[in-house]
Amino acid sequence: MSIRFEKVTKSFGRRTILNGISFEVHPGEIFFIIGKSGMGKSVTLKHIISLLKPDSGQIWVDQSDVTRLSPEELIEVRGKCGIVFQHPALLDSLNLFENIAFGLRTPQYRKKRGKHLSESEIHQIVIENLGRVYLDEEILDRHPSQISFGMQKRASIARTLAPNPDYLLFDEPTTSLDPITTNAITDLIYELSRGRKRVTSIVVSHDMSSALRIADRILMLDEGKILEISTPTQIRNSKNLLVQEFLAEALIQEGSNTSS
Amino acid sequence: MSQSTSTRASPNSFSFFQELGGVILFQLKVIRTLLTTRENLKPIAAQIVYVFTRSLSTVAFAGIFAGAIIVLQFNLMLKRFDAQVLLGGLNTSALLREIGPLIISFLLAGKIGAFTAAELGTMRVTEQIDALECLGADPIQYLIVPRFTAIIFSSVLLLIFGLMISLGGSMAVARLACGLNPEQFASTIPRFNDAWTLASGFFKCAVYGTIVASVACYKGFTASGGARGVGRAVTLTAVYINFYIVIANFITSHIIEDLRELTEVITGGFGG
Repeated sequence: MSIRFEKVTKSFGRRTILNGISFEVHPGEIFFIIGKSGMGKSVTLKHIISLLKPDSGQIWVDQSDVTRLSPEELIEVRGKCGIVFQHPALLDSLNLFENIAFGLRTPQYRKKRGKHLSESEIHQIVIENLGRVYLDEEILDRHPSQISFGMQKRASIARTLAPNPDYLLFDEPTTSLDPITTNAITDLIYELSRGRKRVTSIVVSHDMSSALRIADRILMLDEGKILEISTPTQIRNSKNLLVQEFLAEALIQEGSNTSS
Repeated sequence: MSQSTSTRASPNSFSFFQELGGVILFQLKVIRTLLTTRENLKPIAAQIVYVFTRSLSTVAFAGIFAGAIIVLQFNLMLKRFDAQVLLGGLNTSALLREIGPLIISFLLAGKIGAFTAAELGTMRVTEQIDALECLGADPIQYLIVPRFTAIIFSSVLLLIFGLMISLGGSMAVARLACGLNPEQFASTIPRFNDAWTLASGFFKCAVYGTIVASVACYKGFTASGGARGVGRAVTLTAVYINFYIVIANFITSHIIEDLRELTEVITGGFGG
C-alpha cells in the first residue's frame, strides 16, 4: 500500500515542470510536498490519479503502474484515492447534500463495497462527514453558490472523505480558510492517518507550519527537482536557503497565530 | 497584450481543420457513450426542456421578423411582374430550405452554444470535471451526452415552432403590406413545396444542431487557462460554429438536390 514515483518527467511546451523525480510515500504516512508556486506540486499530485500523464517514468499506486492502466483499471485505482482540489470543485447544479453523496452513488463505489447503500445510510455518511469539517446540517439544501468559499472548500473535503478512500490527496486544502479552521483541518488530516484505518495522505501546501506540525516527511520541490526529502526535525536543521526561507515564513506565521 | 488575445481568438485555416478533427473524434466518443450506457433518458429529457424553453422566446421573436422581411423583399420583386400571388409559396420555400434552419442554428449557437461552452469551460477550469472523474463518474456520460443530444433534438423542435411563428408573421405582413389574404397566401404553398422541401429543412436543422452541439461541448470540455481560457473557448465556439454551418449548408444543399434528382430518375424510370 504505497505510492511510488520513478524518474517522472513532465513538460508543458518547452517548460519542464518535473525533471526525473523519484520518491516513495509509505503506508499510513503524512507526506507534505512544499515548494514555491508553479514548481510542479499540483502537477505531481494529479499524476497519481492519472489526470496528467508523464512524458516518461512510472507512477505506482500499490501494485499498479497508473501510466499503463486501461480506463477500467484506472477507475479502480481512482476508487482508492480521494482528492481535494485547489478549487472546491463542487458541482454547481447539485445542492451540498447531493455533492457530498455523489461518490457514494457511483457504480465504482457500489462495486468496492459489494452492496448498494440505502438512502438512510447515505444520509448518515453525509452528516458524519459534514461534522468532520465543522459544517452544519442546515446548509445541506443550499447550492455551492449560496455559501462562502471557505465553506465550499470544507464541503469539498467532506465529499472526498465520504467514500472512505485509502489514499487522500490534498491540493492546498487550507487555502482561503481562517486560522482556526486551518488548524482544525490540519488536525483532521492527522487524525485520519493515525486513526484505525491509517489513511495515507499526500498534502500539497505552502503552509510550512502545518507541515512541521503533522508531517512524517516533507518533500521540497524546486525547479522540477527534489531539493530535499526529510523529517520535520531534519528540515528545521536544513542549511538549504530555500528551506530556510520557508522555515522563516512558518515561524512568522506561528508567531502571528500565537499573538492573535 | 490585447493584440495577442485577438490573434489567438482568430484561428487560421490550419487550426480550423485541426479543430474539425478534434470535434469529430469527440463526437464519436459521445455517440459511443450514448449508445453503450443506460440511464441517459431522464437527464436528456431535462436538458431538452431546458434548451427548448430557454430558446423559445428568441426563436419566436426572430421567426416573426424573418418571415416578415422575406415577404417584403419578395414582394418588391414579384410586384414588378405582377406575380404577388406566388408570395406564399416562395416565402415558405425560402423559410423551409434556408432561412429557418440557418436562423435557428445561428440563434442556438449564440444562446445555447455559447452558454454550454462557458458552462463546461468553467467546470473544466475550476476542476469540477476532474473531480467528477476522480469520484468515478464518466464526465462524457454525465455532462456531455445530455447536452449534446438535447441541442440536436431541440434544434428540430425549434425549427417546427419557428416555422409556424414565421408563417404567421409572413401572413400578417402579406395582408398588411401586400394586400394578400391568408387564403391567397396559402394557395401557392403546395406549388413550391413538397415532402422534399420539408425533409430538407429538418435534415439541415439536425445537421446544424449537431454542429452547434459538438463544437460547443468540445470547446467547453477542452477549455484551459482560467477565465481567459473560458472566454477564448466561447469566442472560438461562435466562430467555428458559424464557419462549419456555412460549409455544411453548401454540402447538405448539394446532397439533398442530388438525392432528389436521383429519386426522380428512379421513380420516373419505373413510371416510364
